[in-house]
Amino acid sequence: MDFVLIQFLTGLSSASALFLIASGLTVIFGVTRIVNFAHGSFYMLGAYLAWTIVRAFWDWGGREPYLFVAGVIVAAIVVSLIGVAMEMTLLRRIYRAPELFQLLATFGVVLIIQDATLAIWGPEDLPLPRPPWLRGFIEIAGSRFPRYDLILAVIGPVVLGLLWLLFHRTRFGVLVRAATQDREMVAALGVDQRKLFSGVFFLGSALAGLGGALVLPSQSANLQMDLSIIAEAFVVVVVGGMGSVPGAFLASLLIAEVQAFGIVLLPKITLVLVFLVMAAVLMVRPYGLLGKPQAHARAQSGMVEPVLRPAPPILAWAGIAALALAASTPFWAGAYALTVLVELAVFVLFAASLHLMMGPGGVVSFGHAAYFGLGAYGAALGLRYLALPMEAGLVMAPLFAGLFGVVFGVFVVRLSGVYLAMLTLAFAQIVWAAAFQWVDITGGDNGILGVWPSAWATNKSVYLWLSLALCIGATMLLRRFVFSPFGYGLRAARDSELRAEAIGLDTARLRLVAFTIAAAAAGLAGGVYAYAKGSVFPTYISIPKSVDALLMVLLGGVQTVTGPIVGAIAYHGLFVGILQTTQYWRAALGLSIVLLVLAFPLGIAGFARARWERAKGLEAA
Amino acid sequence: MLTVTGLNAFYGRAHILHDVSLEARAGEVLVLLGRNGAGKSTTMKSIIGLVRPAQGSSITFDGVEMAGRQPHEIARAGLGYVPEERRIFTDLTVMENLAVGRQPPRDGLAPWTPERLFAIFPNLGRMQDRPGGRMSGGEQQMLTIARTLMGNPRLILLDEPSEGLAPVIVEQMADAIAKLKAEGLAVVLSEQNLHFAARVADAAVIIEKGAVRWQGTLPALENEPEVKAQYLSV
Repeated sequence: MDFVLIQFLTGLSSASALFLIASGLTVIFGVTRIVNFAHGSFYMLGAYLAWTIVRAFWDWGGREPYLFVAGVIVAAIVVSLIGVAMEMTLLRRIYRAPELFQLLATFGVVLIIQDATLAIWGPEDLPLPRPPWLRGFIEIAGSRFPRYDLILAVIGPVVLGLLWLLFHRTRFGVLVRAATQDREMVAALGVDQRKLFSGVFFLGSALAGLGGALVLPSQSANLQMDLSIIAEAFVVVVVGGMGSVPGAFLASLLIAEVQAFGIVLLPKITLVLVFLVMAAVLMVRPYGLLGKPQAHARAQSGMVEPVLRPAPPILAWAGIAALALAASTPFWAGAYALTVLVELAVFVLFAASLHLMMGPGGVVSFGHAAYFGLGAYGAALGLRYLALPMEAGLVMAPLFAGLFGVVFGVFVVRLSGVYLAMLTLAFAQIVWAAAFQWVDITGGDNGILGVWPSAWATNKSVYLWLSLALCIGATMLLRRFVFSPFGYGLRAARDSELRAEAIGLDTARLRLVAFTIAAAAAGLAGGVYAYAKGSVFPTYISIPKSVDALLMVLLGGVQTVTGPIVGAIAYHGLFVGILQTTQYWRAALGLSIVLLVLAFPLGIAGFARARWERAKGLEAA
Repeated sequence: MLTVTGLNAFYGRAHILHDVSLEARAGEVLVLLGRNGAGKSTTMKSIIGLVRPAQGSSITFDGVEMAGRQPHEIARAGLGYVPEERRIFTDLTVMENLAVGRQPPRDGLAPWTPERLFAIFPNLGRMQDRPGGRMSGGEQQMLTIARTLMGNPRLILLDEPSEGLAPVIVEQMADAIAKLKAEGLAVVLSEQNLHFAARVADAAVIIEKGAVRWQGTLPALENEPEVKAQYLSV
């Protein structure tokens, strides 16, 4: 019984920190509709800034509790100003861009902040030297419980109360609630959205910074804080209902308690457990515990998906020429170029498979790396347990990924929008957690080594040709799907679900088929990649890998079929180029992403097509 | 007071409004008549800035150009907008809905307060703390108008205020519009229901396929059975 109480209290204290972060994220999303990836970075900055500021205060006035509080508050305010700066300089320019572009831009900020933090504070974990009053314990039911954790446990409900007052007793709060439901109407009533948005970013970032500063004494400031917390915060926001602060509170409690008890009862699957809870909640309540269906932001700009057209002959010839050039590299380029080209072929297929779902399917997958990884692991596990040769492994890869695609897809295609994206993320995290934690089968963090091609394909040139044949062949097959009756049906289901249903299309099934095909194609890419590298690791399934895929598709332009191909090449080129030249490649990559989003809100191929069409006078009136 | 000249608007590439021109005078009720999809709502959304007017369109309000401005700037200039779908904030109470619409008083106009609005819309006064989501359609319609009035507009755009309401409520709505006119507000409303329009309006503009087909006073329209038959009968 004591054990239950202690675990419960532990859960409460981590729920508080989680709530601070998630409430900020949910308020920002509710009003601005921006899924702010950089929110986790603000949390991390809160911890680092508190480390510097609190210590400065202590050096100056003794290690008093009130100086700690003052330091935490100053840190939170500095973070909130950084948040407002990001809103005013970057996001304000792209509020009308597609959701994913905004996401991409905030991910660029994540990368920049990561390197900035590394440059300022260095790579070491930074613990706060704790004075006795921060270290004490309290006797509860015969067990010692950290006093600071108890304080944290109280802070969550207190902040919830303060937020409630803010949202019900101030004009700003009422405007925020109104804008969460219908920001366009709020603007038509004379409210300046820009001020409201900046205000919301101030509040949300302050909460993230506060959360980071407050966990500093019990953890330490480190460079992994940002992405590890953002995944959890997304889960909390989605489980609670996007835009709902009370929902975020309930969900924080639920998730934190699941973790607190899970770590004792089922230590091997805590990560899986959290995401299973999320998947279960979304099955029963698709909009989260206290969420409401999003009022569709219609009349925004009357954006209509442009019609996809087969490539004009000139583009087709350019493609064939590029392919021929790639296939001829063994005769004129070195081994390194061959390695890069194999990766390029893999990523082209990876991006094209995601595009099938995002573009024609209208289903934005946030966890596409799951299927890439499943393909890679399918091949590797086949080798390890069934001694399958490469030929069979490359069949196994798409099968394995496709199989999981069907299972996950059944759940995914029932949802839409951000919730759908979050559910795909959850499934990806389940797969990642299984690969990471289930050491006996998957080798955990050490991965599976020795996944080499069959003897005839070990030659680098031969493997390049094989990769090109498989990846480019599969990519062309995906293109065929887009321009087949199946593709037409898929696009009809995206553009008007009701009308598509009315003419007899089973839209859910169409999407499921597309999801499965996309998963299998990503799996093939993963398989080819596994044999190219000779090994598989859980990082193949990680969030950054999924973001890579999104970046490639969005860079190229989701509204064209050629886009993802161009995007994969541009992204990988950028990546390799930057990686070789600078120590701060993350910041450089992040900055490139931000600038590209600002310069090409339609993606590179979309931009090129708009230019091309304008030149041909296709632009109506 | 409000002069629209050569207004063109697009949804994506679809050309919705073709050179719409109209004029609303102070103290008058102007009605935009036309069938479903004729372009009445788009005209209103273009005036308030929710749909961006194309280059070359001109929308002047008291001589000041509004085309191309942000919705909140246009609203603050004194143009109130009441949308067709009501779009009240369902999670907010009646009083909170009104608070969202509140703007500073305007010279020469008695500022609207909840008390003054409850005198015109007595139902609202009886449910001040009720969430907007738990009100009837008629009550919600009253609330949207009251909410917009809180911004102290000098001209109010009413998009199909009688749509989907019970006949008794439609009567109340007509009374309310008459009271607003008596307060000195200019009103532009869109309607498909000619009988309702005839009760409240002074002048009419008929829109069909995104273009103005006829305009004049209401008595003049009564004498044009062919116009009515061509553009308004179902």
